[in-house]
Amino acid sequence: MTFYDSFCIPFIVGAIYMALKVLWKYLSWLRNLPASDLKLIAKGLFTHRTLTATWEVVRESLLHARIWRVDARLGYMHTSLAFGWFLLIVVGWVETIAYLGFRWIPLQGHVFFKYFVPLNNITQHKPVFDFLMDALLLFVLSGVALAWWKRHRSRSLGMKRTTRHNTLDRVALSALWVVFPARLVAESITAALYGGGSFLTTGFGSLLDYFFKTSTLRALYEPSWWVYSSALGLFFLTMPFSRYMHIFTEIPLIFLRHYRLRPTAEEKSYDNFEIEACSRCGICIDPCQLQSQLGNHEVQSVYFLRDRRYKMLQQKVAYDCLMCGRCEQVCPVGINLNTLRLNSRVAMRNTPNEGRYSYLRSIDPSQGSGKVGYFAGCMTLLTPKTLHSMQRIFDAAHVDVWWADRSGGVCCGRPLMLSGEIDAAQKMVDRNRELFLEAGITTLVTSCPICLRVFRESYNLEGIEVLHHSEYILRLIQQGRLQLRHTTDSFTYHDPCELGRGSGIYDEPRAVIEAVGTLLEAEHNRRNAFCCGSSVANTAISDSQQQTIASKVGAELEATGASTIVTACPLCKKAIMRGSTTPVADLSEIVAESILH
Amino acid sequence: MINFGFSISRPRTIDIDRNNLHKSNEIIAAMPELQTCIGCGSCTATCTAGNLTEFNFRKVHTLVRRGEYQGAYEEMNKCMLCGKCRLVCPRGINTRGIVMLIKRKIGDF
Repeated sequence: MTFYDSFCIPFIVGAIYMALKVLWKYLSWLRNLPASDLKLIAKGLFTHRTLTATWEVVRESLLHARIWRVDARLGYMHTSLAFGWFLLIVVGWVETIAYLGFRWIPLQGHVFFKYFVPLNNITQHKPVFDFLMDALLLFVLSGVALAWWKRHRSRSLGMKRTTRHNTLDRVALSALWVVFPARLVAESITAALYGGGSFLTTGFGSLLDYFFKTSTLRALYEPSWWVYSSALGLFFLTMPFSRYMHIFTEIPLIFLRHYRLRPTAEEKSYDNFEIEACSRCGICIDPCQLQSQLGNHEVQSVYFLRDRRYKMLQQKVAYDCLMCGRCEQVCPVGINLNTLRLNSRVAMRNTPNEGRYSYLRSIDPSQGSGKVGYFAGCMTLLTPKTLHSMQRIFDAAHVDVWWADRSGGVCCGRPLMLSGEIDAAQKMVDRNRELFLEAGITTLVTSCPICLRVFRESYNLEGIEVLHHSEYILRLIQQGRLQLRHTTDSFTYHDPCELGRGSGIYDEPRAVIEAVGTLLEAEHNRRNAFCCGSSVANTAISDSQQQTIASKVGAELEATGASTIVTACPLCKKAIMRGSTTPVADLSEIVAESILH
Repeated sequence: MINFGFSISRPRTIDIDRNNLHKSNEIIAAMPELQTCIGCGSCTATCTAGNLTEFNFRKVHTLVRRGEYQGAYEEMNKCMLCGKCRLVCPRGINTRGIVMLIKRKIGDF
């Protein structure tokens, strides 16, 4: 039996090249992994993690479950293309086994099986497989049609905007779109001339037979298989350099993630898996407020990852990001977008000056001697109402407080960290940590979510419980140490990014608000909450842009009809105050106002 | 010299014609909003680092703009980038961006 014809050449060349290139990439990335990461892989390889990772591969790489949650139409499109194509391959293999039994057949024999059936004089057709293969082809074609439609009318698939692709992506995309219609034409002509096929290919084949002479179909027979093979070959050749590298890279990424590999503050080889696993689907574009509210279409995570992948990342792209985490929230591949952007900034940072911040060593602005420490943070010092309210709350609950920085202190280090200057930030971390441990506190309360996050993530404060003031106040209420008056006032709540998406604290501030009044939810809340626009992570945004975002966020909060906008972050408070005429208060203020004496 | 118990400041003339304004021009070209500074000093008054040291953002960026780079890098490195200055600036200058830009441009001058 022959399983070769000259039209197979583009396919064979493309497939071999792609396989070698992808393998080469993975091996070089794996080889450059730090020893600690390799150890993690070795530890996780023969555990249940491999099984759970396999299940996630099925769920995400084939079925694209997370995209279904974004939009069902979009989910169907991705499932039909990925799972449909996968089934075409698998059922195709089963089909050849059913026809020829267990024997070795070269790859092109499986892929172009319909061509080799008449060539090898196989006359006994198997209608079940013909039907299955036709049904699957139709499934994939419906996905291609949706993908094509989405390019022109992305809104109809639930996306306001879709990715602007570069030339290579367009070539790969066009090749992919041609693959399946070309397959339909080639198999239909074959069905028309030699029989076989089912409802789709036979149907389309008889349509072709009706419009064209049999001699014309005979003349088109070989070229149609050439087109199919060439489209496949071109797709495979461009695949390792285009967005479609995602198809394979997501699989090792899922395994590595299950083995607990994570990107860190400094770039490392693992990042390659995350960067090339990005399919540039563009789901991260819509949630980005720089895009939707400021019309900046250059800096979204999809473009950041693209620029970083092709080594053309510019500072203005790396730094123009609020790091609000709204994109990370929806990324169907689960890429750690903020961490990757952060370690890009670290790689771009100024040369560190070893001598700087030596002045921190002699500084101790703390007062008091309680076991409960309170860290106001720079931003709370700029919103003294919050500080005074905290004082009133501590007094009412009879808490003896160690004030870390009531009259000014050392910054927590997170702003420098977010700007990439991790070595400088470390000096602040070290000094504050020293002060906390020396003071012998057991609880550390802060009213700033920015500080909270760095305390929890980078301070390594063993023996000290770190609490946001919303958590602490709720605890005081629940313990009956704080008696509050329930009023008829209505409040709406703005989730600060660092507190909500950053630290997972959504319910505590809401519970506190409900203890003093009625809570009215804004349209975008909790995990989907907007950023106030003044995030310390963005050093490129202009004042007027911050103002624009603040106005949009303020307007949405005002639309709830609440008499006061409440937030739990001093920076958010400052920012939203500029964008709304309704009074803005910190959580501690409304609590302090309602204390029963 | 007779010790009068007090002294006068060293003559401190800034000759813009003699100073090398190349870096200064680059900084202003990258962030022209710096020229809208009215020198009100709000940034310096709220400064976290200024509360602990002699660091004075208004002074440093003004000197840098005049081509006086000596010591500016070390001074700028006292900044903790907390961003309070940005929130109080009446001209809405992106002060944090300026700090990072100046550090990057003048390096260890």
